[in-house]
Amino acid sequence: MRAERLTVRGFRNLADLDRELPSAGAALLGRNGQGKTNFLEALYYPVLGRSLRAASDAEAGRLGGPGFQVEVRVAGGDGPDRRAHAVAVGFQASTRRKRIAVDGADVDRTADAIGHWVAVAFLPSDVGLAAGSAVERRQYLDRMLSLADRGYLVALTRYRAALAQRNSALRQGRPELAQAFDPPLATAGARVVRGRIAWSDGAASAFRDALASIDELGEGELTYRGRSELADADAWGPVLHEARAADEARRTTTVGPHRDDVALAIGGRALRPYGSTGQQRSGAVALKLIELATLRDACGFEPALLLDDVFAELDRERQRRLAERLLTGRQVFLTAPRRDELPENLDLEVWTVDGGVVR
Amino acid sequence: MSAIEELITELARLPGIGRKTAQRLTFHLLQQPAEQVGRLAAALTGVSERVRACTECGNLTEEQPCAICRDPRRDPAVLCVVEEPSAVSVVDRATEFRGRYHVLGGRLSPLDGVGPESLRIAPLLERVDRGGVREVILATNPSMEGEVTATYIQQLLAGRGLRVTRLARGLPVGGDLEYVDGVTLQHALSARQEIG
Ligand SMILES: [Zn+2]
Repeated sequence: MRAERLTVRGFRNLADLDRELPSAGAALLGRNGQGKTNFLEALYYPVLGRSLRAASDAEAGRLGGPGFQVEVRVAGGDGPDRRAHAVAVGFQASTRRKRIAVDGADVDRTADAIGHWVAVAFLPSDVGLAAGSAVERRQYLDRMLSLADRGYLVALTRYRAALAQRNSALRQGRPELAQAFDPPLATAGARVVRGRIAWSDGAASAFRDALASIDELGEGELTYRGRSELADADAWGPVLHEARAADEARRTTTVGPHRDDVALAIGGRALRPYGSTGQQRSGAVALKLIELATLRDACGFEPALLLDDVFAELDRERQRRLAERLLTGRQVFLTAPRRDELPENLDLEVWTVDGGVVR
Repeated sequence: MSAIEELITELARLPGIGRKTAQRLTFHLLQQPAEQVGRLAAALTGVSERVRACTECGNLTEEQPCAICRDPRRDPAVLCVVEEPSAVSVVDRATEFRGRYHVLGGRLSPLDGVGPESLRIAPLLERVDRGGVREVILATNPSMEGEVTATYIQQLLAGRGLRVTRLARGLPVGGDLEYVDGVTLQHALSARQEIG
């Protein structure tokens, strides 16, 4: 999948731009704070209708500005229907209203825009994916599976809404009112758990293979850690009942996929507490390779790849191996502070980003 | 604040009206003859002074009880429970329903501080317990909160010897009844399902 044009207005520090994109992608050079990452963030916005960082829509607008508008035109040839599409996200600061449109027509639900523009982003913070908190791995799962599976996104949205209502009632000390939200929590939550378990069943061997492909010694293990019985909506009743005292005491919902994790190990040692820095980075890279493969399998085409200054985090040898795996056969946008920090033998147009202006 | 600013601010509070539209409306009004603007102002005052919730069903009305509750041709044994008064006219126009209504005044939403006590659920139970009601149709919006509210009420009505039904699926999830077309709504009403 290839983006052929990007239009950006009022976004972060970026000067408004309307630019053709090479089908191979581009390398963006610039000092920190000039807007390289903002460019990638804008390009990624229409993928899920939100920021690739943990930023709100309001934060993505230019400081003190009226809001922003980002549009990506996707070339025909692949994509769900092999036709060209334009996916746009607009945010108006005064009303705090967000509009997502496909080919000029507003969609009612974000889910209806998903899949027209598919990209994977790899940020320096993702290097901590294997070693960081469970929250990061859940975000990884949710972002990937929402793109791979529309039913997952619909269920996840519903689950989060039911969970927010239920937790609000618990915070108010109203367990009976909280209980009223158990039915949607159970049906949507079961669908989320099923999606994650189905993924992890396939990802276990993919994790092993991905680590081997970047010459990481030691066998990789990936397992979904959570209450797998919750894949069945009927199992939720007894489980929530059993958790009732804990929920009331802690004033929050203590069971469900929002508490789950993906456990990673190399050579029998859990990565998070015991992995070396190098192993933890390899684990993160492997997860990103699996994300690319998962989306390719689900969508039937290669997603684009956005790499934000990731190579600097890796040693020269890991850089070379990763570049071999990643930089061919798909559209790639990558950033680096200086040209000599780009991988060798890179065959991409080089742009510079200075003070929010892309040249 | 200037008078113009004040009007723009008030108009911009209305649903679906942004600041730009509010400005356009304000300058449009300023170009109208004074009596035209006076009629609008009087209509606004009239609405807020004379229109009240029907003591029986919660629908908006100028008389107590409302025209629907007084209409002898409408079947008092069938109640259609909706979230907002706006849904009453929608269901009434779009479908052949000729029973009576019960307006809840919202849906369960702890995040908005709305629990069962903020809704007209107790008056619904009173109405049912007074006798003469055979069927309650739960026609809350097909949103997550709307469904939760319907299930909550359904459980309260269980064991009262009533027929309790829900609008059939096929309504767009997450929407409001107001935006559903008449054919879909009539179908959802005819194909309503037994739930208790
Ligand atoms: Zn009435």
